[in-house]
Amino acid sequence: MYGFEAIDAANGWSMAVAGALIVFSGLVVLSFVISQINKVLTFLENRFSIFKPNHKAPQANENETEETLEVPHYIPSNIKEAARYYYPLIEGLDQPFDLTRLYEISQQKGFPHPHITISHLRQACILAPAGDGLFTWNQPQSEKN
Amino acid sequence: MEMLIQFLTNTGYYLADYRHVIMLAVGMIFVYLGTAKKYEPLLLVPIGFGILIGNVPFFKGFGLGIYEPNSVLHYLYFGVTTGCYPSIVFLGLGAMTDFSSLLARPKLMLLGAAAQMGIFFTLLSALALGFLPKEAASIAIIGGADGPTSIFLTAKLAPHLIGPVAIAAYSYMALIPVIQPPIMRLLTTRKERLIHMSELREVSKRERIIFPVVGVILCCFLAPASIPLLGTFFFGNFLKECGVAERLAQTARTAIIDTATIFLGLTVGASTQGDVFLTPKSVGIFCLGAIAFSIATASGIIFAKIMNLFIKDKINPLLGAAGVSAVPGSAREVHLVGQKEDPTNYLLMHAMACNSSGVIGSAICAGILWSFLL
Repeated sequence: MYGFEAIDAANGWSMAVAGALIVFSGLVVLSFVISQINKVLTFLENRFSIFKPNHKAPQANENETEETLEVPHYIPSNIKEAARYYYPLIEGLDQPFDLTRLYEISQQKGFPHPHITISHLRQACILAPAGDGLFTWNQPQSEKN
Repeated sequence: MEMLIQFLTNTGYYLADYRHVIMLAVGMIFVYLGTAKKYEPLLLVPIGFGILIGNVPFFKGFGLGIYEPNSVLHYLYFGVTTGCYPSIVFLGLGAMTDFSSLLARPKLMLLGAAAQMGIFFTLLSALALGFLPKEAASIAIIGGADGPTSIFLTAKLAPHLIGPVAIAAYSYMALIPVIQPPIMRLLTTRKERLIHMSELREVSKRERIIFPVVGVILCCFLAPASIPLLGTFFFGNFLKECGVAERLAQTARTAIIDTATIFLGLTVGASTQGDVFLTPKSVGIFCLGAIAFSIATASGIIFAKIMNLFIKDKINPLLGAAGVSAVPGSAREVHLVGQKEDPTNYLLMHAMACNSSGVIGSAICAGILWSFLL
Protein backbone atom coordinates (compact mmCIF):
# COMPACT_ATOMS: atom_id res chain seq x y z
CA MET A 1 0.00 0.00 0.00
CA TYR A 2 1.31 3.43 -0.92
CA GLY A 3 0.33 7.11 -0.86
CA PHE A 4 -2.64 8.54 1.03
CA GLU A 5 -4.16 5.09 1.32
CA ALA A 6 -1.14 3.91 3.33
CA ILE A 7 -1.24 7.01 5.52
CA ASP A 8 -4.94 6.51 6.24
CA ALA A 9 -4.49 2.82 6.99
CA ALA A 10 -1.79 3.57 9.58
CA ASN A 11 -3.71 6.48 11.16
CA GLY A 12 -0.85 8.64 9.92
CA TRP A 13 -2.76 11.92 9.81
CA SER A 14 -3.99 11.67 13.38
CA MET A 15 -0.57 10.51 14.61
CA ALA A 16 1.18 13.46 12.93
CA VAL A 17 -1.32 16.10 14.05
CA ALA A 18 -1.65 14.78 17.60
CA GLY A 19 2.12 14.31 17.91
CA ALA A 20 2.88 17.83 16.68
CA LEU A 21 0.26 19.34 19.00
CA ILE A 22 1.49 17.40 22.02
CA VAL A 23 5.14 18.31 21.56
CA PHE A 24 4.29 21.93 20.84
CA SER A 25 1.95 22.33 23.80
CA GLY A 26 4.46 20.54 26.05
CA LEU A 27 7.24 22.95 25.17
CA VAL A 28 4.91 25.97 25.38
CA VAL A 29 3.94 24.96 28.93
CA LEU A 30 7.59 24.34 29.84
CA SER A 31 8.66 27.71 28.43
CA PHE A 32 5.83 29.45 30.32
CA VAL A 33 6.76 27.75 33.58
CA ILE A 34 10.47 28.56 33.27
CA SER A 35 9.65 32.17 32.42
CA GLN A 36 7.84 32.36 35.76
CA ILE A 37 10.59 30.78 37.87
CA ASN A 38 12.50 34.04 38.09
CA LYS A 39 9.37 36.01 39.03
CA VAL A 40 8.35 33.50 41.69
CA LEU A 41 11.84 33.49 43.19
CA THR A 42 11.97 37.29 43.28
CA PHE A 43 8.51 37.41 44.83
CA LEU A 44 9.44 34.88 47.51
CA GLU A 45 12.70 36.67 48.22
CA ASN A 46 10.96 40.01 48.73
CA ARG A 47 8.17 38.47 50.74
CA PHE A 48 10.52 36.81 53.22
CA SER A 49 13.09 39.59 53.38
CA ILE A 50 10.57 42.12 54.82
CA PHE A 51 10.21 39.87 57.87
CA LYS A 52 13.92 39.97 58.56
CA PRO A 53 14.73 42.32 61.49
CA ASN A 54 17.63 44.09 59.80
CA HIS A 55 16.02 44.30 56.42
CA LYS A 56 17.19 47.28 54.47
CA ALA A 57 15.93 48.29 51.08
CA PRO A 58 18.71 48.19 48.51
CA GLN A 59 20.10 51.60 47.75
CA ALA A 60 20.79 52.61 44.23
CA ASN A 61 24.25 53.99 44.90
CA GLU A 62 25.38 51.19 47.21
CA ASN A 63 28.77 49.78 46.25
CA GLU A 64 28.77 51.90 43.16
CA THR A 65 32.25 52.50 41.95
CA GLU A 66 33.07 55.86 40.52
CA GLU A 67 35.70 54.62 38.17
CA THR A 68 35.67 55.99 34.67
CA LEU A 69 35.25 52.77 32.81
CA GLU A 70 34.77 52.88 29.09
CA VAL A 71 31.92 50.51 28.21
CA PRO A 72 31.77 49.84 24.47
CA HIS A 73 28.50 49.44 22.56
CA TYR A 74 30.03 46.54 20.71
CA ILE A 75 33.32 44.72 21.01
CA PRO A 76 35.54 45.33 18.00
CA SER A 77 36.69 42.30 16.05
CA ASN A 78 40.33 43.40 16.48
CA ILE A 79 41.45 41.43 19.54
CA LYS A 80 43.92 44.11 20.62
CA GLU A 81 41.11 46.67 20.71
CA ALA A 82 38.90 44.25 22.64
CA ALA A 83 41.76 43.69 25.10
CA ARG A 84 42.02 47.44 25.64
CA TYR A 85 38.42 47.55 26.85
CA TYR A 86 38.89 44.56 29.12
CA TYR A 87 42.18 45.57 30.71
CA PRO A 88 40.64 48.03 33.24
CA LEU A 89 38.40 45.23 34.48
CA ILE A 90 41.36 42.92 35.02
CA GLU A 91 43.20 45.56 37.01
CA GLY A 92 40.48 45.43 39.64
CA LEU A 93 40.83 41.67 40.14
CA ASP A 94 43.22 39.71 42.33
CA GLN A 95 45.91 37.97 40.28
CA PRO A 96 45.52 35.23 39.16
CA PHE A 97 41.77 35.38 38.73
CA ASP A 98 38.84 33.16 37.90
CA LEU A 99 37.22 33.61 34.46
CA THR A 100 33.78 33.36 36.05
CA ARG A 101 34.59 36.46 38.11
CA LEU A 102 35.74 38.33 34.99
CA TYR A 103 32.55 37.27 33.22
CA GLU A 104 30.38 38.46 36.14
CA ILE A 105 32.08 41.84 36.32
CA SER A 106 31.98 42.43 32.56
CA GLN A 107 28.30 41.54 32.53
CA GLN A 108 27.58 43.84 35.49
CA LYS A 109 29.32 46.68 33.70
CA GLY A 110 27.22 46.09 30.61
CA PHE A 111 29.91 44.79 28.26
CA PRO A 112 28.27 43.15 25.23
CA HIS A 113 28.72 39.39 24.73
CA PRO A 114 31.29 38.80 27.48
CA HIS A 115 31.24 35.00 26.95
CA ILE A 116 32.49 35.30 23.39
CA THR A 117 34.99 38.07 24.03
CA ILE A 118 36.54 36.22 26.97
CA SER A 119 36.73 33.12 24.81
CA HIS A 120 38.51 35.11 22.06
CA LEU A 121 40.92 36.60 24.61
CA ARG A 122 41.72 33.06 25.76
CA GLN A 123 42.30 31.86 22.22
CA ALA A 124 44.62 34.79 21.61
CA CYS A 125 46.53 33.86 24.80
CA ILE A 126 45.88 37.30 26.24
CA LEU A 127 44.23 35.46 29.09
CA ALA A 128 46.91 32.93 29.97
CA PRO A 129 46.26 29.86 32.15
CA ALA A 130 48.00 30.04 35.53
CA GLY A 131 46.98 26.58 36.75
CA ASP A 132 44.14 25.44 39.02
CA GLY A 133 41.63 26.91 36.60
CA LEU A 134 42.90 30.47 37.19
CA PHE A 135 44.16 32.95 34.61
CA THR A 136 46.48 35.92 34.35
CA TRP A 137 46.59 38.86 31.95
CA ASN A 138 49.30 38.24 29.41
CA GLN A 139 50.17 41.86 28.66
CA PRO A 140 53.10 41.35 26.24
CA GLN A 141 51.01 38.94 24.17
CA SER A 142 48.23 41.49 24.04
CA GLU A 143 50.65 44.09 22.76
CA LYS A 144 51.89 41.72 20.07
CA ASN A 145 48.39 41.31 18.75
CA MET B 1 48.69 -27.85 0.25
CA GLU B 2 45.00 -28.55 0.90
CA MET B 3 45.29 -26.85 4.27
CA LEU B 4 46.82 -23.79 2.63
CA ILE B 5 44.02 -23.62 0.08
CA GLN B 6 41.45 -24.02 2.83
CA PHE B 7 43.10 -21.22 4.77
CA LEU B 8 43.16 -18.96 1.71
CA THR B 9 39.47 -19.57 1.02
CA ASN B 10 38.71 -18.42 4.57
CA THR B 11 40.55 -15.13 4.24
CA GLY B 12 38.78 -11.84 3.77
CA TYR B 13 40.43 -11.41 0.36
CA TYR B 14 38.68 -14.51 -0.95
CA LEU B 15 35.33 -13.90 0.75
CA ALA B 16 35.01 -10.22 -0.22
CA ASP B 17 32.37 -9.17 -2.73
CA TYR B 18 31.32 -5.78 -4.16
CA ARG B 19 29.16 -4.96 -1.10
CA HIS B 20 32.14 -5.18 1.21
CA VAL B 21 34.13 -2.95 -1.11
CA ILE B 22 31.34 -0.34 -1.20
CA MET B 23 30.95 -0.33 2.56
CA LEU B 24 34.70 -0.19 3.16
CA ALA B 25 34.79 2.85 0.88
CA VAL B 26 31.94 4.43 2.88
CA GLY B 27 33.83 3.72 6.10
CA MET B 28 36.97 5.33 4.70
CA ILE B 29 34.97 8.40 3.63
CA PHE B 30 33.60 8.72 7.17
CA VAL B 31 37.06 8.41 8.69
CA TYR B 32 38.38 10.94 6.16
CA LEU B 33 35.58 13.44 6.84
CA GLY B 34 36.06 13.09 10.56
CA THR B 35 39.84 13.26 10.53
CA ALA B 36 40.80 15.54 7.65
CA LYS B 37 37.70 17.76 7.40
CA LYS B 38 36.98 17.63 11.14
CA TYR B 39 33.24 17.09 10.50
CA GLU B 40 31.95 15.89 13.90
CA PRO B 41 35.12 13.81 14.48
CA LEU B 42 33.93 12.42 17.81
CA LEU B 43 31.08 10.71 15.98
CA LEU B 44 32.37 10.04 12.48
CA VAL B 45 35.70 8.53 13.51
CA PRO B 46 34.23 5.74 15.71
CA ILE B 47 31.37 5.12 13.25
CA GLY B 48 33.70 5.12 10.24
CA PHE B 49 36.14 2.74 11.88
CA GLY B 50 33.19 0.61 13.00
CA ILE B 51 32.11 0.35 9.35
CA LEU B 52 35.59 -0.85 8.45
CA ILE B 53 35.54 -3.47 11.22
CA GLY B 54 31.99 -4.58 10.45
CA ASN B 55 32.69 -5.06 6.77
CA VAL B 56 35.77 -7.21 6.95
CA PRO B 57 34.55 -10.44 5.29
CA PHE B 58 34.70 -13.40 7.64
CA PHE B 59 33.80 -17.02 7.82
CA LYS B 60 30.22 -17.21 9.16
CA GLY B 61 29.61 -19.37 12.22
CA PHE B 62 32.77 -18.52 14.17
CA GLY B 63 30.94 -16.02 16.39
CA LEU B 64 32.76 -13.05 14.91
CA GLY B 65 30.10 -10.82 13.35
CA ILE B 66 27.96 -8.34 15.19
CA TYR B 67 24.80 -10.29 14.35
CA GLU B 68 26.20 -13.64 15.52
CA PRO B 69 25.26 -14.62 19.07
CA ASN B 70 28.11 -14.74 21.59
CA SER B 71 30.47 -12.60 19.53
CA VAL B 72 32.24 -9.75 21.32
CA LEU B 73 30.72 -7.20 18.96
CA HIS B 74 27.28 -8.68 19.60
CA TYR B 75 27.69 -8.09 23.33
CA LEU B 76 28.88 -4.54 22.79
CA TYR B 77 25.94 -4.00 20.43
CA PHE B 78 23.60 -5.00 23.24
CA GLY B 79 23.88 -1.43 24.60
CA VAL B 80 22.47 -0.15 21.31
CA THR B 81 19.64 -2.63 20.88
CA THR B 82 18.43 -2.10 24.44
CA GLY B 83 18.72 1.69 24.23
CA CYS B 84 21.28 1.83 27.07
CA TYR B 85 23.97 3.81 25.25
CA PRO B 86 21.63 6.64 24.15
CA SER B 87 20.41 6.95 27.71
CA ILE B 88 23.99 7.19 29.01
CA VAL B 89 24.90 9.71 26.30
CA PHE B 90 21.97 11.84 27.42
CA LEU B 91 23.26 11.76 31.00
CA GLY B 92 26.55 13.22 29.80
CA LEU B 93 24.80 15.72 27.53
CA GLY B 94 22.74 16.96 30.47
CA ALA B 95 25.90 17.39 32.53
CA MET B 96 27.40 19.45 29.68
CA THR B 97 24.44 21.65 28.85
CA ASP B 98 24.10 25.16 30.18
CA PHE B 99 20.47 26.21 30.09
CA SER B 100 21.17 29.82 31.14
CA SER B 101 20.40 31.28 27.73
CA LEU B 102 17.16 29.31 27.49
CA LEU B 103 16.13 30.40 30.99
CA ALA B 104 16.96 33.99 30.12
CA ARG B 105 14.74 33.90 27.03
CA PRO B 106 12.21 31.05 27.33
CA LYS B 107 10.30 31.99 24.20
CA LEU B 108 13.21 30.65 22.14
CA MET B 109 11.99 27.23 23.24
CA LEU B 110 9.16 27.59 20.73
CA LEU B 111 11.71 27.45 17.91
CA GLY B 112 12.89 24.12 19.28
CA ALA B 113 9.29 22.94 19.16
CA ALA B 114 8.71 24.24 15.64
CA ALA B 115 11.78 22.46 14.29
CA GLN B 116 10.25 19.13 15.31
CA MET B 117 7.64 19.49 12.58
CA GLY B 118 10.10 17.87 10.19
CA ILE B 119 9.65 14.65 12.14
CA PHE B 120 5.90 14.49 11.60
CA PHE B 121 6.09 15.50 7.95
CA THR B 122 8.61 12.71 7.35
CA LEU B 123 6.40 10.27 9.22
CA LEU B 124 3.68 10.92 6.65
CA SER B 125 6.14 10.74 3.74
CA ALA B 126 7.58 7.43 4.91
CA LEU B 127 4.12 5.95 5.36
CA ALA B 128 3.20 7.14 1.87
CA LEU B 129 6.29 5.42 0.46
CA GLY B 130 5.15 2.10 1.87
CA PHE B 131 7.17 1.81 5.05
CA LEU B 132 5.44 0.10 7.97
CA PRO B 133 4.28 2.49 10.74
CA LYS B 134 7.06 1.50 13.16
CA GLU B 135 9.68 1.84 10.42
CA ALA B 136 8.21 5.18 9.36
CA ALA B 137 8.44 6.52 12.92
CA SER B 138 12.07 5.39 13.19
CA ILE B 139 12.92 7.14 9.94
CA ALA B 140 10.95 10.27 10.88
CA ILE B 141 12.93 10.79 14.07
CA ILE B 142 16.02 11.48 11.93
CA GLY B 143 14.40 14.92 11.45
CA GLY B 144 15.15 15.60 15.09
CA ALA B 145 18.84 15.56 14.09
CA ASP B 146 19.67 13.76 17.28
CA GLY B 147 21.72 10.57 16.85
CA PRO B 148 21.12 8.99 20.27
CA THR B 149 17.37 9.72 20.12
CA SER B 150 17.14 8.19 16.63
CA ILE B 151 18.99 5.08 17.78
CA PHE B 152 16.88 4.80 20.90
CA LEU B 153 13.55 4.96 19.08
CA THR B 154 14.70 2.69 16.26
CA ALA B 155 15.96 0.12 18.80
CA LYS B 156 12.50 0.09 20.31
CA LEU B 157 10.39 0.15 17.15
CA ALA B 158 12.39 -1.21 14.21
CA PRO B 159 15.68 -2.74 15.41
CA HIS B 160 16.46 -4.07 11.93
CA LEU B 161 16.85 -0.46 10.73
CA ILE B 162 19.29 0.72 13.42
CA GLY B 163 22.26 0.71 11.04
CA PRO B 164 20.82 2.84 8.23
CA VAL B 165 18.90 5.16 10.59
CA ALA B 166 21.94 5.78 12.79
CA ILE B 167 24.25 6.30 9.84
CA ALA B 168 21.75 8.70 8.23
CA ALA B 169 21.20 10.64 11.47
CA TYR B 170 24.90 11.04 12.19
CA SER B 171 25.76 11.77 8.57
CA TYR B 172 23.30 14.63 8.44
CA MET B 173 24.54 15.92 11.79
CA ALA B 174 28.05 15.94 10.36
CA LEU B 175 26.84 17.57 7.15
CA ILE B 176 25.18 20.50 8.92
CA PRO B 177 27.68 22.99 7.42
CA VAL B 178 26.63 21.76 3.97
CA ILE B 179 22.87 21.30 4.42
CA GLN B 180 21.73 24.15 6.67
CA PRO B 181 23.33 27.37 5.33
CA PRO B 182 21.64 27.25 1.87
CA ILE B 183 18.24 26.73 3.53
CA MET B 184 18.93 29.60 5.94
CA ARG B 185 19.88 31.94 3.11
CA LEU B 186 16.96 30.84 0.96
CA LEU B 187 14.36 31.51 3.63
CA THR B 188 15.68 34.75 5.13
CA THR B 189 16.37 38.21 3.77
CA ARG B 190 19.63 40.00 4.45
CA LYS B 191 17.75 42.45 6.67
CA GLU B 192 16.47 39.56 8.77
CA ARG B 193 19.91 38.01 9.06
CA LEU B 194 21.22 41.33 10.37
CA ILE B 195 18.83 41.43 13.33
CA HIS B 196 20.78 41.72 16.57
CA MET B 197 19.41 39.92 19.58
CA SER B 198 19.22 41.89 22.80
CA GLU B 199 21.58 40.99 25.63
CA LEU B 200 20.44 38.06 27.77
CA ARG B 201 19.62 38.74 31.40
CA GLU B 202 21.68 37.14 34.12
CA VAL B 203 20.23 33.85 35.33
CA SER B 204 20.52 33.00 39.01
CA LYS B 205 21.94 29.73 40.25
CA ARG B 206 18.63 28.88 41.91
CA GLU B 207 16.82 29.13 38.58
CA ARG B 208 19.34 26.80 37.01
CA ILE B 209 18.89 24.30 39.85
CA ILE B 210 15.09 24.40 39.70
CA PHE B 211 14.93 24.00 35.89
CA PRO B 212 15.94 20.31 35.61
CA VAL B 213 13.47 19.38 38.34
CA VAL B 214 10.62 21.27 36.67
CA GLY B 215 11.72 20.01 33.25
CA VAL B 216 11.80 16.34 34.16
CA ILE B 217 8.38 16.52 35.82
CA LEU B 218 6.64 18.44 33.03
CA CYS B 219 8.19 16.58 30.10
CA CYS B 220 8.09 13.07 31.52
CA PHE B 221 4.52 13.46 32.77
CA LEU B 222 3.55 14.47 29.24
CA ALA B 223 5.44 11.68 27.49
CA PRO B 224 6.47 9.00 30.00
CA ALA B 225 8.09 7.00 27.21
CA SER B 226 10.79 9.65 27.05
CA ILE B 227 11.92 8.92 30.63
CA PRO B 228 14.99 6.88 29.55
CA LEU B 229 16.27 9.91 27.63
CA LEU B 230 14.94 12.96 29.45
CA GLY B 231 15.22 11.42 32.90
CA THR B 232 18.97 10.97 32.54
CA PHE B 233 19.32 14.25 30.63
CA PHE B 234 17.78 16.36 33.38
CA PHE B 235 19.52 14.30 36.06
CA GLY B 236 22.87 15.05 34.43
CA ASN B 237 21.98 18.72 34.31
CA PHE B 238 20.97 18.70 37.96
CA LEU B 239 24.33 17.16 38.87
CA LYS B 240 26.01 20.02 37.04
CA GLU B 241 23.96 22.77 38.58
CA CYS B 242 23.40 21.61 42.15
CA GLY B 243 27.02 22.38 43.02
CA VAL B 244 27.41 19.56 45.53
CA ALA B 245 28.06 16.70 43.12
CA GLU B 246 30.65 18.29 40.87
CA ARG B 247 32.74 15.10 40.84
CA LEU B 248 29.80 13.10 39.49
CA ALA B 249 28.96 15.79 36.96
CA GLN B 250 32.58 15.87 35.83
CA THR B 251 32.61 12.08 35.35
CA ALA B 252 29.29 12.16 33.49
CA ARG B 253 30.44 14.79 31.03
CA THR B 254 33.84 13.23 30.39
CA ALA B 255 34.51 9.54 31.06
CA ILE B 256 30.93 8.27 30.93
CA ILE B 257 29.76 10.05 27.78
CA ASP B 258 33.05 9.34 26.04
CA THR B 259 32.88 5.62 26.82
CA ALA B 260 29.27 5.40 25.66
CA THR B 261 30.05 7.38 22.50
CA ILE B 262 32.97 5.11 21.62
CA PHE B 263 30.93 1.91 21.95
CA LEU B 264 27.84 3.45 20.39
CA GLY B 265 29.74 4.74 17.35
CA LEU B 266 31.86 1.63 16.90
CA THR B 267 29.00 -0.86 17.13
CA VAL B 268 26.58 1.21 15.05
CA GLY B 269 29.29 1.40 12.40
CA ALA B 270 29.94 -2.33 12.65
CA SER B 271 26.22 -3.03 12.28
CA THR B 272 26.33 -1.79 8.69
CA GLN B 273 27.42 -5.10 7.19
CA GLY B 274 27.09 -4.88 3.44
CA ASP B 275 24.62 -7.75 3.12
CA VAL B 276 22.30 -6.20 5.73
CA PHE B 277 22.88 -2.54 4.95
CA LEU B 278 22.96 -2.25 1.17
CA THR B 279 19.25 -2.56 0.45
CA PRO B 280 16.75 -0.29 -1.35
CA LYS B 281 15.27 0.48 2.07
CA SER B 282 18.54 2.06 3.19
CA VAL B 283 18.50 4.33 0.13
CA GLY B 284 14.93 5.34 0.98
CA ILE B 285 15.94 6.04 4.57
CA PHE B 286 18.81 8.26 3.44
CA CYS B 287 16.56 10.27 1.11
CA LEU B 288 13.81 10.64 3.70
CA GLY B 289 16.39 11.56 6.34
CA ALA B 290 17.68 14.41 4.19
CA ILE B 291 14.11 15.63 3.63
CA ALA B 292 13.35 15.37 7.36
CA PHE B 293 16.43 17.35 8.30
CA SER B 294 15.79 20.06 5.70
CA ILE B 295 12.14 20.44 6.67
CA ALA B 296 13.06 20.63 10.36
CA THR B 297 15.50 23.45 9.58
CA ALA B 298 12.99 25.25 7.39
CA SER B 299 10.10 24.95 9.84
CA GLY B 300 12.21 26.47 12.62
CA ILE B 301 13.13 29.44 10.43
CA ILE B 302 9.59 29.97 9.16
CA PHE B 303 8.19 29.81 12.68
CA ALA B 304 10.69 32.46 13.82
CA LYS B 305 9.47 34.70 10.98
CA ILE B 306 5.86 34.14 12.05
CA MET B 307 6.78 34.98 15.67
CA ASN B 308 8.33 38.23 14.45
CA LEU B 309 4.93 39.32 13.14
CA PHE B 310 3.59 39.39 16.68
CA ILE B 311 6.45 40.42 18.94
CA LYS B 312 8.20 43.75 19.47
CA ASP B 313 11.65 42.44 20.34
CA LYS B 314 12.39 40.78 16.99
CA ILE B 315 14.12 37.42 16.79
CA ASN B 316 16.78 36.73 14.18
CA PRO B 317 15.04 34.02 12.08
CA LEU B 318 18.35 32.20 11.59
CA LEU B 319 17.90 30.99 15.15
CA GLY B 320 15.04 28.79 13.97
CA ALA B 321 17.58 26.58 12.20
CA ALA B 322 19.17 25.83 15.57
CA GLY B 323 15.88 24.36 16.76
CA VAL B 324 17.01 20.98 15.46
CA SER B 325 18.82 19.24 18.25
CA ALA B 326 22.22 18.76 16.64
CA VAL B 327 24.22 20.22 19.53
CA PRO B 328 26.29 22.31 19.08
CA GLY B 329 26.75 22.02 15.29
CA SER B 330 23.59 23.80 14.22
CA ALA B 331 24.05 26.59 16.81
CA ARG B 332 27.59 27.11 15.54
CA GLU B 333 26.35 27.24 11.95
CA VAL B 334 23.67 29.82 12.79
CA HIS B 335 26.31 31.93 14.50
CA LEU B 336 28.64 31.69 11.51
CA VAL B 337 25.95 32.59 8.98
CA GLY B 338 24.97 35.56 11.15
CA GLN B 339 28.58 36.66 11.43
CA LYS B 340 29.08 36.45 7.69
CA GLU B 341 26.49 39.19 7.29
CA ASP B 342 27.66 41.22 10.27
CA PRO B 343 30.79 40.30 12.23
CA THR B 344 29.48 42.11 15.31
CA ASN B 345 26.35 39.94 15.47
CA TYR B 346 26.77 37.27 18.16
CA LEU B 347 24.03 34.69 17.91
CA LEU B 348 25.78 31.73 19.51
CA MET B 349 24.28 31.89 23.00
CA HIS B 350 20.78 32.50 21.63
CA ALA B 351 21.20 29.64 19.17
CA MET B 352 22.31 27.36 22.01
CA ALA B 353 18.99 28.11 23.72
CA CYS B 354 17.10 26.85 20.65
CA ASN B 355 19.48 23.92 20.34
CA SER B 356 18.97 22.72 23.89
CA SER B 357 15.20 23.05 23.57
CA GLY B 358 15.50 21.03 20.34
CA VAL B 359 17.12 18.21 22.34
CA ILE B 360 14.18 18.22 24.74
CA GLY B 361 11.69 18.48 21.87
CA SER B 362 13.09 15.57 19.88
CA ALA B 363 13.23 13.35 22.97
CA ILE B 364 9.56 14.16 23.67
CA CYS B 365 8.74 13.34 20.03
CA ALA B 366 10.50 9.99 20.40
CA GLY B 367 8.46 9.28 23.52
CA ILE B 368 5.23 10.26 21.78
CA LEU B 369 5.93 8.12 18.70
CA TRP B 370 6.92 5.17 20.86
CA SER B 371 3.70 5.41 22.88
CA PHE B 372 1.60 5.75 19.70
CA LEU B 373 3.11 2.59 18.23
CA LEU B 374 3.52 0.40 21.30
